[in-house]
Amino acid sequence: MRRLIGALAIGVVAALMANTAAKADPLAEIKKKGTLIVGVKTDYPPWGTRDASGNIVGMEADMAADVAKRLGVKLELVSVVSSNRMQFLQQGKIDLMIATMSDTPERRKVVGIIDPVYYASGVAILANKKANIKSAADLKGKPVCALQGAFYNNDLQSKYTGQDLVAFKGVTEAEQALLDGRCVGFVYDDVVLVFKKANDKKFEGFDVVALPEWKPVPWGLAVKIEDLDGPWGKFMAATTKEWLASGTLLALEKKWVGNNTQWLIDASAAAKK
Amino acid sequence: MEGLWDFLRSLHDAYGINLVHFYDTFERTRLLRGMWTTIQLAATCVVLSVLIGIIGAWLQGSRFKILKGFVQGYIQFFRNTPPLVQMYFFYFALGPQMPRIENEYGIAQPMLGSFAWAVISLSFFAGAFNIEIFRSGVEAVQKATVEAADSLGFNRWQIYRLVVLPLAVRVCLPALNNNLVNLIKTTTQAYAIAVPETLYIASQIWSDRINVFEMMVTLLTFYLLLVGIFVWLMTRLERSLRVPGFGQ
Amino acid sequence: MSAGGNSNLILAPVAPPSSQGETGFLASAFTPRALGIALGLFASVALVSEAWAQLVAGGERLGILATLWKWAPLVLIGPPREFGGFALNILVSFLAMAIGTVSGLVLGLGLISKFAPVRSVSWAITQFFRNSPWLVLLFFVMLLTPFQFRIGGLTIPFPAWFKATVGLALPVMANVAEIVRGAVNSIPTGQWESAESLAFSRLQTLWRIILPQCVKRMIPPWMNWYAILTMSTPLISIVGVNDAMTLTQDALASEQRTDLLMPMYGMLLLFFFVYCYPIARWTIRLERKFAVRI
Repeated sequence: MRRLIGALAIGVVAALMANTAAKADPLAEIKKKGTLIVGVKTDYPPWGTRDASGNIVGMEADMAADVAKRLGVKLELVSVVSSNRMQFLQQGKIDLMIATMSDTPERRKVVGIIDPVYYASGVAILANKKANIKSAADLKGKPVCALQGAFYNNDLQSKYTGQDLVAFKGVTEAEQALLDGRCVGFVYDDVVLVFKKANDKKFEGFDVVALPEWKPVPWGLAVKIEDLDGPWGKFMAATTKEWLASGTLLALEKKWVGNNTQWLIDASAAAKK
Repeated sequence: MEGLWDFLRSLHDAYGINLVHFYDTFERTRLLRGMWTTIQLAATCVVLSVLIGIIGAWLQGSRFKILKGFVQGYIQFFRNTPPLVQMYFFYFALGPQMPRIENEYGIAQPMLGSFAWAVISLSFFAGAFNIEIFRSGVEAVQKATVEAADSLGFNRWQIYRLVVLPLAVRVCLPALNNNLVNLIKTTTQAYAIAVPETLYIASQIWSDRINVFEMMVTLLTFYLLLVGIFVWLMTRLERSLRVPGFGQ
Repeated sequence: MSAGGNSNLILAPVAPPSSQGETGFLASAFTPRALGIALGLFASVALVSEAWAQLVAGGERLGILATLWKWAPLVLIGPPREFGGFALNILVSFLAMAIGTVSGLVLGLGLISKFAPVRSVSWAITQFFRNSPWLVLLFFVMLLTPFQFRIGGLTIPFPAWFKATVGLALPVMANVAEIVRGAVNSIPTGQWESAESLAFSRLQTLWRIILPQCVKRMIPPWMNWYAILTMSTPLISIVGVNDAMTLTQDALASEQRTDLLMPMYGMLLLFFFVYCYPIARWTIRLERKFAVRI
């Protein structure tokens, strides 16, 4: 028992130290320790994915690398998923999050989303040509693949398909089910679907049909909420603005996605002014 | 009924207890449909896995070494690998190899859907355990009983079906019961291959309506009830099958 | 010891622990050869798909075996500088078993307590966690516990993989409690009586006389539960932890090849088989060694 208490005490002290360390200004702290830790996705090619040696690569990984270059520090990438990315930021496990996160008012209460936002995506369906789908209205009574927890699922089912969605935990499974002919289409972020369709021969028999029923949602990168108005948040806001104005993001999008989305072209032009 | 729904709705407004899955017609119907799917899934798997157990235990008594080895390999594979990975293997790797049929939307679709694959993988999983359970029951049957039946001119399958099995079932009912309860609980894993069973629907509701806690309580109550009813039925079966002269 | 009597009410389908290792009677059919057969089977599946892939693709892509070889390290030990993969499955299984065993011991002693309220509360907890689906419990812990605890001014983080571990430990706890109860009840009443006549207190009797004898009887069913737990660890992939299952899917996502599905999932099944099969064999050996003869 005494040993247990001892171990607990050590843990408590360690946690305390970690806590006080996190309280300093992150910008100065990152420069002092010489490493920037960024949370990015690994299940979202080409924004964030793994290569065979396990390294994280992608458009957002490149953005993170650029931030590290500007600060003159080393970069460490941490894999995050939608369900833990905000917690990682709050816990101080990551200094910055660039993880395809949609900007919503609820999330703005929890983490510091940087203005301007850097990207946006709408909703679309990658539909089997044979099913002849032209709009959301054509989905009635048909099996539709989707991802669990997507914000449009409820609407999609109650207003359009009228039957249970074929929803999976990950993109891999949903895509596989689509290719196996288990659903007429896969509803997901339009930018990803356009990329897949353009880059993968196996989607030849499929079309990307936009679903304007759901408005495009901007993506924001985020810092801890208390740092949003501090030097670290201001630095990231200036960096994002510069990325847009100088065309860095357009170049990165070209490199990874292959073409430029209208949203990014417009946002970059707006930033230039 | 409307009065009850209104009351539940007022709970949400007054205390923030969000029982939307009861009072909202859309959520309620899909949750009920999910529960019905779970019941169908569980019932089918229970029956199939017991059949696999009975046949497998019979094959284990076979004289053909290859057949025995095959059953043994099946048992060891399914007992020592995770049911979730088995389900993925069946649905995503084996499923697409099935012959395809053109469905009403003109798309060539593999023959078996997610429900069928969930039934297959869960039944094989629980069946592997059932074979061993029945086998223990078969071994508990006195040799003299089998010899007596043999001398009366029964053939091997008749002896197994009419003499050995009825006795064996009674011996292994508790262990069988145990395994089948486990099977019912494992049906939740069909969630991963998008079978619209209770957990699947519940997770959709809680991510749409942000009422995780209320949904969890509902889910756990449902499964405890389901298991409770099953155990009650099995206990009745056990009692009605009791061999006179054994136990208290 | 009438204490445990009421535990076999409605929701207690589980027979005494000895019957949980239904494995025992099969011991004769168990040979190390089975492991060899499994490996051989896997190799032939891989070879057949290899040949098929070469035939279809005309050798322009990396062969199946080479691809498996390329991804195996990631699936086994996770990405560089991160802890994950099959190693994480094993770590989670160890930790969950440790937590489950310690809390299960306490709960099991609660089940045989002389104090009725303690007994009924322990009974309710045991039944609840034994009869709830693992996946639902996992979701429960993942979604309803905070990601960090604040005690006074300090914050203790509670990362996802640890939450998952706790989620898996809960059903283990309830089953260990049941094992403890069964084992204690299997010790003849005479031992309690003689200890009492030697002026041992109840606690002393339990610690010094009863429990040491129980350990042997508890080990086989306990190991059986360890195997069940290990085979449940892929469930943590559903709640977003970087385990072997998640990484297998990451690898499949990155390769984008349908012909890899069977070999990749096959490899994952093989990892578990190679780890769990020896444990099952060992459990059977111990079970036969420690079998209680009446």
